[in-house]
Amino acid sequence: MSEMSEMTCAELADVAAELALGVLTGRERAQALAHLDRCETCREDVRQLMATSEQLVGLLPEREPSAGFETRVLSRLGFPAPLPGPATQPRPALTGPAAPAPAAAGARPAAAASAPWTRRLLAAAASIVVLAGVAVGGWGLGRSSAAHMASPAQAALSSAMFVTPGHRGAGEVFVYRGAPSWLYMSVDLPSGDGMVTCQLIGSNGKVTTVGSFQLANGYGAWGSPDPWAPASIDGARLVAADGTVLAVASLR
Amino acid sequence: MGTTGELPDEVLLAGLGAGDAELAVAFVRRFQRVVFGVAVAVLGDPATAEDVAQQAFEQAWRHSRMYDSRRGTVRAWLSRIAHNLAIDVVRARASVPVAPDDLGVLLAAMTEGPTLVTESSPERLAVARDSAAGLRRTLRQLPPPQARAVAMAGIYGMTAQQIADAEGVPLGTAKTRIRDGLRKLRAAYLPQGIGDE
Repeated sequence: MSEMSEMTCAELADVAAELALGVLTGRERAQALAHLDRCETCREDVRQLMATSEQLVGLLPEREPSAGFETRVLSRLGFPAPLPGPATQPRPALTGPAAPAPAAAGARPAAAASAPWTRRLLAAAASIVVLAGVAVGGWGLGRSSAAHMASPAQAALSSAMFVTPGHRGAGEVFVYRGAPSWLYMSVDLPSGDGMVTCQLIGSNGKVTTVGSFQLANGYGAWGSPDPWAPASIDGARLVAADGTVLAVASLR
Repeated sequence: MGTTGELPDEVLLAGLGAGDAELAVAFVRRFQRVVFGVAVAVLGDPATAEDVAQQAFEQAWRHSRMYDSRRGTVRAWLSRIAHNLAIDVVRARASVPVAPDDLGVLLAAMTEGPTLVTESSPERLAVARDSAAGLRRTLRQLPPPQARAVAMAGIYGMTAQQIADAEGVPLGTAKTRIRDGLRKLRAAYLPQGIGDE
């Protein structure tokens, strides 16, 4: 076996598109990957081409699957068959701390409709970290810094932007004042890897600490069921370990 | 619109992963046309495509925690899952999936169809729509052999050799078409053309 020759940047550029599209094979692929291992410039080139290839797939037209598809999918995953029409009932939603929960990482309830909150918390703990960074710019439920009440059918659901002392958007908090109530937030700060504490501010000014979670490079998400007396909350804030208030959200 | 219908994609995905039945329903309803569209575009056969689409949702359910919103939208992540699964099926049956007429129809749909984009804010939505529209326009303007080569590689997962065989051109020509076509699309997707010729 001869030693594999090294690929130059120019040679990599010739096959970068094929590599990004996932169709480069054999020796060329091995040489290209070896080159990328040591060339940041070419890695960036391929990264951009990969992003383009994903956009290309995004141009594919949507198609309606055959009737009953969603029922078959949900059955395959162990969920109960859905009722006809859009799912519209207000409901207690996902919660869970972003802190690692290794024991829950594989938790997958087969028939999840009856999963108790504690179980949902554990399962969500593993999945909710994926939500990091989604909140900048608003989520459609409300994009102002003030609380946004949903339509009458969902009047108990509201959301608000987290805002830093420098008036920068820093995530969003969702509040469901139902039975049970729940709270969910995602955080997007410029930086930070430490623990942050979530505090709720009652209408009487009382501050209640409801939980802590870990940020990773400024990103993090966290939620909790029933963390306060419904309708008593005026706002939420994020506090660093040293007591600094990182961001506030008004839910009045 | 109801509560779940207004929730962000990321929340529905987390709900699916957490085993929440109602959010799982909403997730499947929101994305089933996207996922099936990707699968059937690659595979052609609706029955096989539906099975692949089901597998894609199952993977999303099992691996929801792998999603990173900083790297793209839920729609793009899910489309990638469906696309990879469909390509695996194509390769497993060791057949070239594309007939010349099918490719023409697909390219027409990709270049003329509506821009279906979801994003988490008006600003990001506008940027995404601009990017998709620019990509669609550039794909339409590519020399047909380049557009075909990019689609055969990028959608059907065909290698340069398979494209060369299908098009009756030398291998080097197929590779050049893929390279030039994708780089032109990249210039449209990234208007600044970072590092692009």
